[in-house]
Amino acid sequence: MSQSAVAEIPLQPGRPRRFLKPETQTAMLFLLPSFLGFMIFMALPILASLALSFTNWQLIWTPSFVGFQNYIKLFTVDPAFYAILRNTLFFAVEYLAVNIIVSLTLAVWISSLKRGKAIFRVIFFLPTFTPTIAASVVWLLIFTPDGLADTIIRALGLGLPNFLLSSSWAMQAVVLVTLWANVGYNVVMFNAALDLVPKHYLEAATIDGANAWQRFWRIRLPLISPTVFFATVMTAITSLQVFDEIFAMTRGGPGSATATLGFAIYQKGFTNFQMGYASALAWVMFVMIMALTILQFHMQRKWVHYDD
Amino acid sequence: MKVLKKTLLLAAIGGSLFATTASAEQVTLTWQMWTGSDADTKGWQHLADMVTAKYPDIKVTLTTTGWVDYWTRLPVLAASGQLADIVSMQSLRMPNFYSLLEPLNDRIAADKFDVGAFTPSIIGGMSVDKQLYGLPYDVGPWVIYYNQDALEAAGIPLPKPGWTLAEFTDAAKKLTKDGKYGFGITPQNYSVLASAWGDKYVNDSGELDLTNPGAIAAAEKVIGFAAKDKVAPLVPSSADAGTVIQGRFYSGNVAMYVDGPWSIIGMKDKVKFKIGSTSLPRGEAELTAVTAGSGFGIATTSKNKDAAWKAIQVLTSPEALQYLAEQGRALPARTASQSSWYKVAAKDITNGGEAIDYSLAHSVPYVITNNWAAVENLFNQYFPPAFGGSAGAKQTMESIQSLAQQ
Repeated sequence: MSQSAVAEIPLQPGRPRRFLKPETQTAMLFLLPSFLGFMIFMALPILASLALSFTNWQLIWTPSFVGFQNYIKLFTVDPAFYAILRNTLFFAVEYLAVNIIVSLTLAVWISSLKRGKAIFRVIFFLPTFTPTIAASVVWLLIFTPDGLADTIIRALGLGLPNFLLSSSWAMQAVVLVTLWANVGYNVVMFNAALDLVPKHYLEAATIDGANAWQRFWRIRLPLISPTVFFATVMTAITSLQVFDEIFAMTRGGPGSATATLGFAIYQKGFTNFQMGYASALAWVMFVMIMALTILQFHMQRKWVHYDD
Repeated sequence: MKVLKKTLLLAAIGGSLFATTASAEQVTLTWQMWTGSDADTKGWQHLADMVTAKYPDIKVTLTTTGWVDYWTRLPVLAASGQLADIVSMQSLRMPNFYSLLEPLNDRIAADKFDVGAFTPSIIGGMSVDKQLYGLPYDVGPWVIYYNQDALEAAGIPLPKPGWTLAEFTDAAKKLTKDGKYGFGITPQNYSVLASAWGDKYVNDSGELDLTNPGAIAAAEKVIGFAAKDKVAPLVPSSADAGTVIQGRFYSGNVAMYVDGPWSIIGMKDKVKFKIGSTSLPRGEAELTAVTAGSGFGIATTSKNKDAAWKAIQVLTSPEALQYLAEQGRALPARTASQSSWYKVAAKDITNGGEAIDYSLAHSVPYVITNNWAAVENLFNQYFPPAFGGSAGAKQTMESIQSLAQQ
């Protein structure tokens, strides 16, 4: 908006001065449904859950204010809470690392192909179209005792236990299925970023004698680092919220081996009807995700390179 | 002219009075119910119409939801003050939701309503602290269903209702061969089997008591089927173990499993073998078979409680239950109507009627705590490692007991 334009308005006779420019008004009008949707279905429930986390609401009884009791119970009494927290962080760290490494490797491999790039992008992206619950049910049948996975493990003589019955292996099954379902998204994103790396940089480096690894590590990775950063933040957030795979495949078991915050919120709220307690758990999860995201933004200065 | 005016005036007054009286008497009740299919919904609509047929001034508007969604929606509707006048309720969920329903004891006493006509265990199941909160339409004891062809091939005589745990285990061992299992067990079977053997997992004050010697002994036996005797396949703690085991029974991989009479209708079309039925195995003493069932209560928020009381009496009347029985929909909660269900639903099941008759004669209410859904979740999480042999019965029960109280 230029200052001269603003100054000209009062000079136009008969034209009332408007609070907002017509195009801004139109933009506001178009944004209104989305804004209302956000307020009603996001902002309001978020605030309501904060209020509820200080009550003992059980859905069918009138809630009463209990102060910080839910939070105190979480951190000092509930024997499952620290296991849930540990499981959540374990899953997030392992899944995030594996996802970024695997998706980056696949993206580099696809971008190195001379033919069939599009086909491979589609192949890896396909599982992200599949509803996670449906895919998880199929994987459950694969991992079920005496199922396909057991048959393969036996045939290969790996000597592994059944994943879903073993407290130490169940989480690995969840990581594997989540990876299968979601890795395609990052593959496509990294692949697009890699394709934008100017060819002459790489050609110059090749002439200077840089090998493939050096070209990747010194040129391509720094140039796609904003995309890697974005993918890392988004994947970290979604991994802390993991739910569908756990709900369908393990229901938090065996024992409490795969009970994560996302699953615990559902279980406390919608099967045990402890809405106040579930809201407190949700806010713990919110604080964790927020802290992690702030940390990631802080750390990006050290490794993310922007062109400007 | 004056006369005409007066006549018209009188007619108008009379007409308006009549109209007022008529509209005051006409009541529309809402009824929320679960449903599994269109045929199911038609059946419930038929029952709603039966109410209007008996009381022309009462109209019942039926709203249906799928079984799983019903139990998620119910507390949400209650929390937002939108409960229907007539609320359908399952006995296993009564301890969670009875506060939404009107106590019925006073109405029963005032109208001399005959509660004795119903199977006692389901009256117990619809009650909390001896106060009845709903009139039941069906009842079902858990029984054992078996693959008769497999039993005959293994040379096992068809089990008679009242058989013992030793006889059951012996049969399960003989049936476990060639990659097939004798018995399909789920974590949720624990409470049903413990009750059958007379072991208590809830104390006299109604609190969960999984660490008493009886409860642990029952867990040892249940876990032992998979971990020690290896007559039962392992189940993951995922999804619905009941459906998984039912599927393995249908496909002939598991020879015996625990289920209720509500599953009979669908069962016959899904298997390629002859199905038989018998009671749950008993321990040293007589069998104590627990039952579950459902019925209809009146919402405390209803503005038409008197009409709703009339309506639920019709919905659970001998005529209504006879209709449901003939449809094969439910084993009637009224003792006198049960024979018509046997003729329809249990006719192709060997000893189907006898197994249910015997179990009902030995039935007791299903004792559960008011957080039973949470307890069952924990059974589902903590039994599978025990089935796999990586945790003992005592340790499993202690974990569940400690977590269930949070």
